[in-house]
Amino acid sequence: MNCREVQDRFLEGMESTLSPLEKAQLEWHISDCADCAGFAARQSELDLRLQQAILAPKLSTAFRAGLQQRIALHGREPWPEWLPDIAHVAGCGAAVAVCAVLLPFPVPVVLGAGGVIAFLTYSLQALLVSAFEQKTE
Amino acid sequence: MPDDDVQRLLHKRHWARAFELVLSRYQEKVFRLVYSILKEAARSEEITQDISLKMWQVLPDYDGRASVSTWLYTIARNTALSALRSASHRSTRILEGCELPASKWQAGQQQVEINQLVERLPEAQKQVIELFYLQERSVEDVAHMLDLPEGTVKSHLHRARRALADMVRS
Repeated sequence: MNCREVQDRFLEGMESTLSPLEKAQLEWHISDCADCAGFAARQSELDLRLQQAILAPKLSTAFRAGLQQRIALHGREPWPEWLPDIAHVAGCGAAVAVCAVLLPFPVPVVLGAGGVIAFLTYSLQALLVSAFEQKTE
Repeated sequence: MPDDDVQRLLHKRHWARAFELVLSRYQEKVFRLVYSILKEAARSEEITQDISLKMWQVLPDYDGRASVSTWLYTIARNTALSALRSASHRSTRILEGCELPASKWQAGQQQVEINQLVERLPEAQKQVIELFYLQERSVEDVAHMLDLPEGTVKSHLHRARRALADMVRS
């Protein structure tokens, strides 16, 4: 390795772990080359200085509470997960009520039939949703 | 793949749980990304809240084409850059080309303010080197946040280190 390659490798070693062989090659070259030894010393010092100077701040403990407050005030609530179920039950209930009033059958029969149909369509909907989710996964 | 669990929750439209997971995983990283752009902790925290709120609002529109983190970092970068462009904030930002102290950093001599040297680097190198130290020396994280290949990040880092060493020596 020439000096430029050694110096590049040295810089790489500051970002990732070098293999033992690469380390040994570097050390061997640096022990015998004043230029590269100086380069390594300067870069190590610089690295230390940067580490001390560029400090990562932390989020304050009030961050989450503030965010919750802002979501409550301005956040568009995405569709709740239970909305399709509620929509289904409400739709079936309304349809059965209308049928009970309009159709010339006894109300208990209409309610029973409506309940069975609601249950079957709900099961079908649940199956379809589950199949869709499995497909998208 | 990272964030598979988040993707699954999003497919199932479990927005609140997905949001919580993304937030717990990325809020500090997003904050540091914003801080690397704005350089003010309080302002960065406020912008991180804006980003989180925006994420909550557009979560149902996430289409899964980009990874969750790439998607979030794009929102974060754009929001932070918009904030930086706002006139009120621009006035507080340290100007490039500021006076370099006459002192040099050498043993026994007056210490050079390293941050001022970093400010003199080209924008791309400055951003990469700051983010590298802010993100606990992870080239992978920096590449992901800036949407750059890891090789490019390393190249910016090496150039920045050489340039800083030269500034210190001259």
